[in-house]
Amino acid sequence: MTKAIPLFQSLRCRLIVSVVIIEIVMLSILVWNNISIIQTTHTDRLHDTASSMIQQIANTSGTYMVAVDYATLEDYLKNMSHYSELLYLAIFDRDDKLVISLGPYPENKRPRADTSPAQTDDDIFDISQDIQIAGQPMGKVAIGFSLSLMQDAIKKSRIRGMSIAAIEIILTVLVTVVIGLGLTRRLGLLSNAAAQVEAGNYSITVPTEIGDEVGKTAIAFNRMVAEVSNRTRLLQQEKSHSTKLLKENRQLIHYSLQIQELERKHLARELHDELGQCLTAIQADAELIRDLSNKDPRITTSATAIMEVSSRVYDVVHSMMHRLRPGVLDNLGLVEALKDEIKAWETRNIETDCSFTTDGDLSQLGEHTNITLYRIVQECLTNISKHANAKHVSISLIKHHQKLLLEVQDNGNGFISREYNKGLGLIGMRERVESLNGSLQLNSKPGEGLSICISVPLSG
Amino acid sequence: MKSRIFLSAILLPLFACTCLANKTHHCSAASPVTFGILPFVSAEQLVIRFTPLVNYLSHHLNVEVRIETAPSFIEFSRRTTEDKRYDILFTAPHFYPLAHKSGYRLIASVDSAGMRAVFVVSKKSHIQNINDLKGKRLATVDTNSLAALLVRKYLTEHDINPDTDVNIIATPTHNASLLSAYHGVTDASALMQPPYEAASEQVKNSMRILAKTDRAPHIPISVGDKISSACATQIRELLLAMSSTTEGKQVLKHNRFSGFRLSRAEEYEKFNALIFRP
Repeated sequence: MTKAIPLFQSLRCRLIVSVVIIEIVMLSILVWNNISIIQTTHTDRLHDTASSMIQQIANTSGTYMVAVDYATLEDYLKNMSHYSELLYLAIFDRDDKLVISLGPYPENKRPRADTSPAQTDDDIFDISQDIQIAGQPMGKVAIGFSLSLMQDAIKKSRIRGMSIAAIEIILTVLVTVVIGLGLTRRLGLLSNAAAQVEAGNYSITVPTEIGDEVGKTAIAFNRMVAEVSNRTRLLQQEKSHSTKLLKENRQLIHYSLQIQELERKHLARELHDELGQCLTAIQADAELIRDLSNKDPRITTSATAIMEVSSRVYDVVHSMMHRLRPGVLDNLGLVEALKDEIKAWETRNIETDCSFTTDGDLSQLGEHTNITLYRIVQECLTNISKHANAKHVSISLIKHHQKLLLEVQDNGNGFISREYNKGLGLIGMRERVESLNGSLQLNSKPGEGLSICISVPLSG
Repeated sequence: MKSRIFLSAILLPLFACTCLANKTHHCSAASPVTFGILPFVSAEQLVIRFTPLVNYLSHHLNVEVRIETAPSFIEFSRRTTEDKRYDILFTAPHFYPLAHKSGYRLIASVDSAGMRAVFVVSKKSHIQNINDLKGKRLATVDTNSLAALLVRKYLTEHDINPDTDVNIIATPTHNASLLSAYHGVTDASALMQPPYEAASEQVKNSMRILAKTDRAPHIPISVGDKISSACATQIRELLLAMSSTTEGKQVLKHNRFSGFRLSRAEEYEKFNALIFRP
């Protein structure tokens, strides 16, 4: 089952958030730019107005100044002083004496002229200009403009601009979210459908009413789901069939192994009971013939030969009996049988040292368990002598709680799967373990030996 | 010796106080000299025209000389006679007698044959002689101007009552007077001859001179009582010498003056009969 996608990792969310962020950033830049333009425009307007006004006054005042007609000049200037931003207007004669003052001109502390409304040391934009006629100085005009009206206008413009921008941002966010959700709704449906398919619900279908890219993807998705559903059903059928076959095969193998062991046991008993008795009788008769030969060399020699041959046959038969069914297993139990087997193995592989340890009560394991474990150890030792080239082998058999743990470990060449897979030994071991409902685990690396761990549950 | 010291102790402070009280101008004084010019043309034209002359005087007197005028003839005359505002006075001939009575001293006058007014009409006009002006509109400058005085005198001498026989229309300048007749706003124009001669050829070619008044003495240049005798002499010598120097000639040419000459106050006494009273 697919986990729900976190909000900020979903495509829809990221898409909408990206558009909203871009929109907010762009609008912020726009508003900042507009505010800057508004400020510059107002400043430039006041600067231009002031420059134009002072130029006009300077041009006009010259004739009045040379005629010392201050009354007429003052009347003329009064008409201009109605300009709302004009704070004061002062005219100085050629001796820099204040002759006309309209508005609160600070005569005691004459203000310095400012270069721009944006660079004033107070809230008054002070400018001045010489009055000239034909290059002859006639005096000076000084004008002060209050910046409060301009600042109010800028403030109002700024508030208005920011309000419009805020509304625009809110509307943009809403519209973007609505449109974004609408556009990405079908992607969400696709995503949910994919999650349900992943969870195993192949009956899901995605609407395909619109033939755009998402619609085409939805059609392909529906086809893909139908195909996956069909193939999954076929696979499940095949798997079910295979499982059934495997189970039957295993039962057959286990049954075969049991039959094999029974046959071996039966054959060993027959050899012991029938052939053993015959050989003993042959040997006794040969011995009697030798004793009754009266020192006839030919008879003695033949009788002795018969005794030797029968003894060798007995050894062979005994060996076959042991391989078919070691008698010590039935008589003395698994541990002694393994010790006997290991001892015999060491005799055949004198360059390899083998240790065997046990722990727990292993006397009541049952015949099937005993012969199975015995065969497994026997197979392991056979493989080691064939492939491992080991110097030391350790075998441990431990009964722990309700579990029987068998570990066969060597320090040989390590596991080379291909060589093992050549024969049926590993398969046979695995099947024998399976017959005990146990598990088999191989641990090996090339050059670092092999460890075979077998765990068998003990019932009761 | 003691009496000399005592006399000096008394007289020196008195002299100093007198000098300070009168603010007598020695041409090298620090305070500027005011050059008062009758507003016979616009203030701007006045400055343009007289700036070279003022700069010339300023340079040679080593003192700042400032041009100043007044809004009107009457105000100029009042400032001359009552305020004694101007240190150097450049006024109309008929105003000089009043200035003289107020203490102004004549030092020179423009060296010319004298000024007179002319009556001009359009070449297409039916007015052929001065008597045809009866009942017509005649444009002339301020009634207090020299031109107006000469015109009134001329009309009176030709049995035309200027107050009842013609409709005199005052214009702000001589040029405005001429243009009013040129454009047909008035039937004729009376103006001083120099402004007429200075008019454009197009205008002059469309007009003809109907009559000319008698000549009046040219513009007098006088100084106020703040100007010391020595400085007055220095100014006079500078003015008289202008026509003989390259620099002076250039200034005179700009002012359209031929030069300056010595003159006497008596030359302007005949205006007492027509004396202007503001």
